Amino acid sequence: MSIFEYNGSAVVAMVGKNCFAIASDRRLGVQLQTIATDFQRVFKVHDKLYVGLSGLATDAQTLYQRLVFRHKLYQLREERDMKPETFASLVSALLYEKRFGPYFCQPIIAGLGDNNEPFICTMDCIGAKELAKDFVVSGTASESLYGACESMYKPNMEPEELFETVSQALMASVDRDCLSGWGGYVLIVTPTEVQERVVKGRMD
Amino acid sequence: MAMMKLDMSALETNFAAPAIDDCDGTYFSADAADVPSMVFPTCADFDGFQAATKDMVKNKKGTTTLAFIFDKGVIVAADSRASMGGYISSQTVRKIIEINPYMLGTMAGGAADCQFWHRNLGNKCRLHELSNKRRISIAGASKLLANILYSYRGMGLSIGTMIAGWDEKGPGLYYVDSEGARLVGNRFSVGSGSLYAYGILDEGYRFNMSIEEAGELARQAIYGATFRDAASGGCVSVYHVGPDGWKKLSGDDVGELHYHYYPVQKTPVEQEMTDAPSTSA
Repeated sequence: MSIFEYNGSAVVAMVGKNCFAIASDRRLGVQLQTIATDFQRVFKVHDKLYVGLSGLATDAQTLYQRLVFRHKLYQLREERDMKPETFASLVSALLYEKRFGPYFCQPIIAGLGDNNEPFICTMDCIGAKELAKDFVVSGTASESLYGACESMYKPNMEPEELFETVSQALMASVDRDCLSGWGGYVLIVTPTEVQERVVKGRMD
Repeated sequence: MAMMKLDMSALETNFAAPAIDDCDGTYFSADAADVPSMVFPTCADFDGFQAATKDMVKNKKGTTTLAFIFDKGVIVAADSRASMGGYISSQTVRKIIEINPYMLGTMAGGAADCQFWHRNLGNKCRLHELSNKRRISIAGASKLLANILYSYRGMGLSIGTMIAGWDEKGPGLYYVDSEGARLVGNRFSVGSGSLYAYGILDEGYRFNMSIEEAGELARQAIYGATFRDAASGGCVSVYHVGPDGWKKLSGDDVGELHYHYYPVQKTPVEQEMTDAPSTSA
């Protein structure tokens, strides 16, 4: 089993109309054994910027702590929050620094940029940025997620419809993956509010 | 197939691996030379080829099955997930194989291997009934299977099965696997989720139980295994084998079973956003 499949994970982000959704599964496992069913993979950087980290759980937590540290330094120096595009470049640079001993994570970055324009991107474990206009996926269930998102996605969805779409896509995909699932965690971010929901899923 | 003569092909032992003594080319038994055996590939590195095939098929015994004997017979239960590495290929696999109306076999390991050899065992049991005018015992049936699997030892078959049934001596339960083991016992669980199932099964087991209690114990044990083990899931099937044969007790989806055992508690609302009361003009 590869190192990316050691803990198991599924993360997806989708763009809606002036909003975005970022969602993950909740399982933490050690190969086939499930250890926890409330593991957090989506983290807040600031009110309009979230990062989801799939892959090895310890690297996800460490990388998140490093990113928060860098962002706080930026806030002190620039006296403002980072834009999502800038943050994506930061993550990419941080990952490439470890080119020959990488963090085993695939980050997904989702945020509201200038004029509350939704921004999503994903990266591989050494920082290759991939911007997308519709959705990005990562984790052990990524292939199933690609299929589900491709068929369920429509542009310009309102927050309620976006929540339904993301939840259905996530739940359907993790039901085809042994290593992820055991519930879902969905965040919908609009310019005025953030809705976080825990989704009931199959616990097998 | 013979057309004019009496067709005796059904009485032949099919597919036993030929036992050939390499030293002087003589066979282990007199009639082994006539036994039709499975074709082996001709290649320079047979062992390497077998190892590569084993890796390719990715048999990981990702499953949970269990069986136990109690005073009213045998309970057999299993999950229904088939996984290929991390991918779930099916959530609706029938892992309890009905060999004949009074004998059940469980499937763990390679699905193709289990299905084929259980059906082969069913054929042999039926032939035994026809030629001996009495049903085969569970001990006999498990021995037939164990001997065949032993002859294929090391070739990459992956089977971890339990043969459960009711014969003249009462309830019978045997564990047979592709390494050649054949064990008699009262409680077995096989598969990647077996340790989780043992934890629940061993704690709740009593010899004197009603059929419903025994079925519920088996269901909870498999459910517990599907919760903790990533390679088990789908539905729990529970069967009971009594003096009149087997009967399926239940088949429950594990996703729903979880919320049946642990219903979602409504969390008290701490803060609720409501619209601000409109001020009068």
